[in-house]
Amino acid sequence: MSAILAAGITHWFGSEPALEGVDLVVERGDHVAVLGDNGAGKTTLLRILATAMQPSAGGLEIMGLNARREKRRLRARIGYLSHAPGLYPALTAAENLAFFCDLRGVDRARVPEALELMGLTQVARRRAAELSRGLQQRLAIARATIHDPLLLILDEPDASLDAEAPELLSRVMQKRTVVFATHDQALAARLGHRTVQLRKGHVMGAGSRLHVVH
Amino acid sequence: MRSIAVALAVARKDLVSEWRSRELVPALAQFVVLALVIANFGFQIDSRSAPAIAPGVLWLALVFAGLLAFGRAFAAEKEQASLEQVILTSAPPAAIFAGKALAAAALLVLCEAVLLPALALFFGTPLSIALAAAVFLATIGMAALGCMFAAMVAQLRAREVMLPLLTLPLWIPFIVAGGQAVQVMMGGGNSYGQALWLLIDFDILFVVLTSLAARFVLDE
Repeated sequence: MSAILAAGITHWFGSEPALEGVDLVVERGDHVAVLGDNGAGKTTLLRILATAMQPSAGGLEIMGLNARREKRRLRARIGYLSHAPGLYPALTAAENLAFFCDLRGVDRARVPEALELMGLTQVARRRAAELSRGLQQRLAIARATIHDPLLLILDEPDASLDAEAPELLSRVMQKRTVVFATHDQALAARLGHRTVQLRKGHVMGAGSRLHVVH
Repeated sequence: MRSIAVALAVARKDLVSEWRSRELVPALAQFVVLALVIANFGFQIDSRSAPAIAPGVLWLALVFAGLLAFGRAFAAEKEQASLEQVILTSAPPAAIFAGKALAAAALLVLCEAVLLPALALFFGTPLSIALAAAVFLATIGMAALGCMFAAMVAQLRAREVMLPLLTLPLWIPFIVAGGQAVQVMMGGGNSYGQALWLLIDFDILFVVLTSLAARFVLDE
């Protein structure tokens, strides 16, 4: 069974098409890098895969579950890193993670481990507002993985991260199916098993709506 | 059980955030005191007119303080881009909503702890458990409705305008029943029990309705 089966995903913002007829198949354990210029539709595609929004048209099955009808069951298996870190500024790094453990019904004992994995142990008791943008990004990645998701969807995970980013990301991507968007071709080549190129809402490819570059 | 744990986690997070940032409660407390001061100067208050005027002033102050408190409940999440992360956790939407409403109601109760003594000072209303009970019961239903509409308008640019437009008409039953209860406290009526039961009925109705609507409001 494929991890992601997307058929004819189309999304419109008003009269503007953001995605048109995108087909995508991602096998379990695959790491797929989504590349494209600004406005190509990367974030829209990732948000749809994360069940943060519903496509205007098209079918989507993730981990064998229908993304429209079984959204809640699906969300328990997905970790999503969005563009904005979406942290609680008044809470400490550890409290931010503990809160999401409570929401996901996960043991809070995972918090120290998650902080250590992302190199955040030293700042565990600092408020999120006091962290640099790069540390906030690490914390947001830790939150996306705190429940040990099968599928990880990362929107520009390397944003604001330092030179350690590829090493850090490869650690969290291990043994998971991952779809990530990036502008960095080198990072895509290093972390992705394959890449998908988007342009103006279409997956590029000669005569095909899906173009996968191995 | 998970729903209760989620609701408590959300409420605790909101209260801890407010305790550390102290953004809302001091502003709300100042607002209600200022409202009473203005009303005190604006009306010719004497022992005969106070029972007729005080309930109106109390509910006006409470309604506008409530709009501020409930509006912030979801506006802050929207500004921090954190609400989406919460919704994507698969936690029950009704539990998330209940937690937000619980925290916003707790903050409003804190303001009421300032408002009621100030009302006693300016208007001579009796400070009694019966009065506090009427105000508290109204707060529950107002919190449920206020938070639901705050969640609905959080995505809108004109949310500050839309929230009162949607919420105020549905708060009227609480203002009528609550006002009646307060008037009885001040010797202006004789049906405190009836007003209290009416408040309880409205609370049950709106808490159930908003819990059912939470899934559609938060998820869609």
